Amino acid sequence: MGSIAESTQQALILLFGGDPDLWVIIGISFKVSLTALLIATPFAVAMAFLLAFGRFPGRRLLITMFNTLLSFPAVVVGLTFYILLSRQGPLGEWQLLFTQPAMVIGQIALALPILIAMGHSSLQATDRRAWETARTLGASRTRAMMTLMREARFGLLAALLAAFGRIIAEVGASMMLGGNILHYTRNIPTAIALETSKGEFAQGIALGLVLLIMAFLLNGLLQVVQGKGRPVA
Amino acid sequence: MTELTYSAVRKTYGKREILAGVDFGLRSGQCVLLCGENGAGKSTLLRILAGMERPDYALVTRDGVTRRWREVKKRLLADCIYLHQTPYLFEGSVRYNLNYPLRGARTSREALVREGLAWSGLDTIADQAVHQLSGGERQRVALARAWLRRPKIMLLDEPTTNMDHACRQRTVELLHALKREGVALVVTSHEPSHFAGVADDVLELASGCLGRAGPMYMALPDKVTPIDRRARATA
Repeated sequence: MGSIAESTQQALILLFGGDPDLWVIIGISFKVSLTALLIATPFAVAMAFLLAFGRFPGRRLLITMFNTLLSFPAVVVGLTFYILLSRQGPLGEWQLLFTQPAMVIGQIALALPILIAMGHSSLQATDRRAWETARTLGASRTRAMMTLMREARFGLLAALLAAFGRIIAEVGASMMLGGNILHYTRNIPTAIALETSKGEFAQGIALGLVLLIMAFLLNGLLQVVQGKGRPVA
Repeated sequence: MTELTYSAVRKTYGKREILAGVDFGLRSGQCVLLCGENGAGKSTLLRILAGMERPDYALVTRDGVTRRWREVKKRLLADCIYLHQTPYLFEGSVRYNLNYPLRGARTSREALVREGLAWSGLDTIADQAVHQLSGGERQRVALARAWLRRPKIMLLDEPTTNMDHACRQRTVELLHALKREGVALVVTSHEPSHFAGVADDVLELASGCLGRAGPMYMALPDKVTPIDRRARATA
């Protein structure tokens, strides 16, 4: 018990004392995850639109596939891209393994199913009259799509927060694709794993606290956002 | 004076024939009341007229030129406004909804929104969220929003359903105002008597055919004898 209390005390000192190594790790985590989210979102929204309103062969299969990918383990995603990006792999020439772009690729693969599945659900739940009303009021197809996104914004924002929550806390893909290199690819979850294996609990606890606080803030934000979303007839 | 004619409008859902070659004409400032039983195809016809639902076949004559429906679909969308039975209002305020169809500079849009609010008598609730409005107020917001688009034709699906007398009166007054401005109106209703003062023509849709119901329908809505459907079917 004593050592846990001591480690926690040290963790708080590290966290609020402005330990540079700790904040570099936090910075890398946010940079990689936000970049992945930024790249994945436009494609995911377009795909969610297509699945929600398009009628084409294979649509149901795609929906089932993205729903299945929701439960795909991060470490398997990491393994898949490790094989693809390794020197002997088909994308080995890109020389991306153990770089931040490789981590971004892995996190995009993890974020896409969540963004698409949740985005599709929230868009499909919008009232069909919203699209028709926008069109009859003179909106172009693009503007009508923007209108629908506005009507479904709470669901779409929930998808974004859920995806961000998943990728910033995942350890498997980041460890395999990033290689846990200090000041370059070491992010919060991989640092926690490393420090714990070394028996250095203070930094692990400090980083764990960051994730915990962030998860709390994201969930709080989600609650506020969902509370504001009310059905409009 | 705009004249628009739809000919041979046909629509089937699976094996069920909803519209069996309907002919329909409209001119500026005319109000046509469309009656018929549930499932007769009134809403389908309105949506086809508005360019929102693809018919199996239809010809549209405008300014003396006849084209297929799909060739004039965009034009129909630009000229017509379709109002659902329960109008959809975008989440936000009354002002936001009135601003939606407007283009141009912010100041001119604001002036037009004020005009729309005054036209519909919604000035006092301009900044109210639409989910707080009553059914009658929502219908007026939808009408004002449509009016601001300056449509040539307005197609209204059961606009007075579930309204009390005062709200209904208010809605009919707005329809009168639209008619005076030269907007052609097509209104579907199960209560033709509500539109006795505003409708110029009453048509009945039955068995996929459109026929003239005439003044009898207006005067004695409960005792009207529907047009002989067998006669129409063989026509």
